[in-house]
Amino acid sequence: MSVPYLREAAAQDDLGKLVRFVRLHLGDGDEAVGKEEIDRSWAEAIKILLRDEPVDREFIVWVLETNESTLALLFFQLHFYIIRRSGRWIHDGSR
Amino acid sequence: MTAADKDTSSAADPRKVGTQLRPGLWHTINERYPGSMIRNESFEPQARLRKPLGASRLTLVSSCGVHSKTDQPLDVCHPFGEFRFMRVPSRAKHDDLIIHQLKYPHDDADLDISIIFPIERLQELVEEGRLGGLTPNFFSFIGYNMDPEKFERTVAEGIAEAVVGEERDDCALLAPA
Repeated sequence: MSVPYLREAAAQDDLGKLVRFVRLHLGDGDEAVGKEEIDRSWAEAIKILLRDEPVDREFIVWVLETNESTLALLFFQLHFYIIRRSGRWIHDGSR
Repeated sequence: MTAADKDTSSAADPRKVGTQLRPGLWHTINERYPGSMIRNESFEPQARLRKPLGASRLTLVSSCGVHSKTDQPLDVCHPFGEFRFMRVPSRAKHDDLIIHQLKYPHDDADLDISIIFPIERLQELVEEGRLGGLTPNFFSFIGYNMDPEKFERTVAEGIAEAVVGEERDDCALLAPA
């Protein structure tokens, strides 16, 4: 899935193609694994919040004032960060 | 003798003459990443070496994502890939370098960087006089990429300009990861 392919899918609001790409990217080429990885990252985020620790709300507000492109990339960075810290790491290419 | 052992010094396209290293590679890539295949018309024949290796200055270009430990890592999380490249001092040693990369196993390369980025082997070849010298810097980038045209405009042209202009090499060793 090249960027031109994705641009065309985005222009047509083809959710199926866009979601498939995200799943392939996060699953290292395996769509089912990617879907599981997305679910897992949200579950891991919930686990962290269940610790009920103080949070830096000013930091969150400051981050959300950043431009959308940076936020979108941060979204992917956070996914990989949370998956890595969970200890279940599949992205070393050995699958 | 396998297909990979055949003489590839001619200007023929390896995909047409059957010297492609992994049969079915293009099918696999197109299945997983439709539209990201390298187009046939982008094929460029290899240039001939103009002087003996013992008098030539060589550079190394790799898609393995290696860089100096003191450098900020490349972005391995971007879904479309990273469009920057790193300069790796050719005098660097294994302990100076780190691979920051997803999607391929590099446990063995972490123990011996030269199995994927043969920097120390090339240094030895210069010491033995089998190579004329090395460019001051080698080059590394992230192989995963979803935008071949942007990649060509940024990483490929950037490395090519640096190699020819700043580094003044005579030949380049391309090492895919």
